[in-house]
Amino acid sequence: MRLLLAEDDHHLVATLKKDLQHAGYAVDVADNGVDAEYLGNEMIYDVAVLDLGLPQRNGIDVLKNWRSSGNVLPVIVLTARNAWHERVDGFKAGADDYLGKPFHVEELLARITALLHRSNRQSAGLLNTGGVTLDEAQQTMVTESGATHKLTGIEFRLLRYFLLNPDCVLSKSRLTEHVYDFDSEKDSNVIEVYIRRLRQLLGKDRIETRRGQGYVFKSTS
Amino acid sequence: MQSLQARLSTGLFVSLVTVFSALWLIININIQFLAEEYIASRLKHDADTLLNAISFDANDKLILNNNKIDQVYHQPFSGHYYLISTRTQYKQSRSLWDQQLKQINIATGEQLRTHQPGPEKQSLLVISSGYQISDSLFTISIAEDLNPIKENINTFLYWFALISLGMLVVLIALQAIILRYSLQPIIQIHTELKSLEQGQLDKLSTDSPRELRPLVNEVNHLLSVMEQRLRRSRNALSDLAHAIKKPLTVIQQVAINSNIPDGTKDTLVQQSSEILQLTDRILKRARLAGHSHSGALFSFAEDLPALIKTLDMIYTSKTLQLTINMPDNITCPIDREDMLELLGNLLDNAYKWANQHIIFSIKIINSALHICIEDDGPGVETDKIKELSQRGVRLDEKTAGHGFGLAIVADIVNSYGGHMDFNKSTRLGGFMTELVVPIQQA
Repeated sequence: MRLLLAEDDHHLVATLKKDLQHAGYAVDVADNGVDAEYLGNEMIYDVAVLDLGLPQRNGIDVLKNWRSSGNVLPVIVLTARNAWHERVDGFKAGADDYLGKPFHVEELLARITALLHRSNRQSAGLLNTGGVTLDEAQQTMVTESGATHKLTGIEFRLLRYFLLNPDCVLSKSRLTEHVYDFDSEKDSNVIEVYIRRLRQLLGKDRIETRRGQGYVFKSTS
Repeated sequence: MQSLQARLSTGLFVSLVTVFSALWLIININIQFLAEEYIASRLKHDADTLLNAISFDANDKLILNNNKIDQVYHQPFSGHYYLISTRTQYKQSRSLWDQQLKQINIATGEQLRTHQPGPEKQSLLVISSGYQISDSLFTISIAEDLNPIKENINTFLYWFALISLGMLVVLIALQAIILRYSLQPIIQIHTELKSLEQGQLDKLSTDSPRELRPLVNEVNHLLSVMEQRLRRSRNALSDLAHAIKKPLTVIQQVAINSNIPDGTKDTLVQQSSEILQLTDRILKRARLAGHSHSGALFSFAEDLPALIKTLDMIYTSKTLQLTINMPDNITCPIDREDMLELLGNLLDNAYKWANQHIIFSIKIINSALHICIEDDGPGVETDKIKELSQRGVRLDEKTAGHGFGLAIVADIVNSYGGHMDFNKSTRLGGFMTELVVPIQQA
């Protein structure tokens, strides 16, 4: 899952980015409103965490501009301005969730997870698709046979993206986009290595290769 | 103070009635005087004619030449009478018949004007003059009935009064119309002030007469100054909150992620949270608009659904049934931000603690807004509820969940001069908050 973090406080960004990456998100940071709006329109993000007090362009305006141009990127608004009228205005501008500062990182993570499930029409709680259950907090997977496997960072990111987009053809470049952030070294061949590893855990037929197109996670085996 | 229109109308009415009454009185007195003067001068002429008919014989006996006397003095009770008298004898006109005039003797060259009752209830004007022919002294009293001319005068006065009254009514009606027309701008400002109070207008219209324009401009100026001041101070406070919270958030995050001993870490986190809460509460209290009309007003039709949608989104993981009891077309002049903060905190608590049901009731009774929010959550123990009600919600309140949010609600309710009560919901079994806020109703 690739996440856009629009926040101008560098100290907060430093700790938050670490926590988010640790939780399995590929994180890109925008420290002003203009960059944030531009990046948010790139269509490579699964979720955005948007601070309202951004320099150059106010967070509310960024959000309004996204929504008026038809961008439905799920957005969690993060702000110290947590009076109720500001929350209502935030939701009116198109926010999907709202978190007032100060906050606990666990709460932010829980809300991001909940929002991702919601926007991918998944139920709250553990992510479960076609008998495969993913514990996003522990980054572990339970297969149909009941075996629990611990996943590495990239495996977890990849599997989560598959589970949230079942039965869709996902190209290698799309998978790369949603698993790595801008700063990572990207080698699309590495994806094949991780797919192979996931197949070992899930069974061969769960992830199907469509030649020249990409991969499909099948919700029914 | 009495209304301007009533005062002007009363003044004009009284002065008009006074002027017309005075006019009527003056004309009445003058016309009586003139009529009497006219008759008196005629009587003097008649006396001169009569004088020509008078002579005295050798025995000093009074002789009258009837041929020289006007016929009217021969008809009985004609209203024209005379009486010629000396010290020893008198002669009176045939028209007096069996009646008599009062005998008056005055010195030669003197004249006397008297009023006497005459025959057949006539009221007579009598002019008596003293004369002398050779050695004989005598007095001629000549009289005329005033009733016929009085009747004419009365008829005239009656018509005059009637026409005057008609004119008075027309004038008063005209005045009322002129007054209403002239006071129109004031009435307009009056209605505008009312809509201003209810927030339907944000300033007075400047299309007013020259005399009122300075007042209107001043009011508008004050309104804009107040609005700007409120907005500026709210923005400044919001910025301050933002500026304080950011570093505190960072301190907390750094503390949590650092390797310092747990005790120190906890203290650091706890202390910074306390600063945050205090800041939050004090800033929120400072932002309250209260009963000043200088911001957007809460709209039940727009803001309430938006607030509920917001809460639904925050609590997506819960499926709650929210029942809203609210009259249609409810309006109340209350600041939008204050009301959103009030309802937001109350409903947030309810959403947080409810299992399935929330009942939210709003009604307006006797210029007071009644709000009641009930949930089916765990509620608060009875002794804690008492404590809440008795002490009021204090800053250090740490009642599970129903703590901090209620403090700001209490601040808002206090700033509006209202009160609130906590109870156990009889319908749902959870927590119930009831509050009454006085409002200026149309």
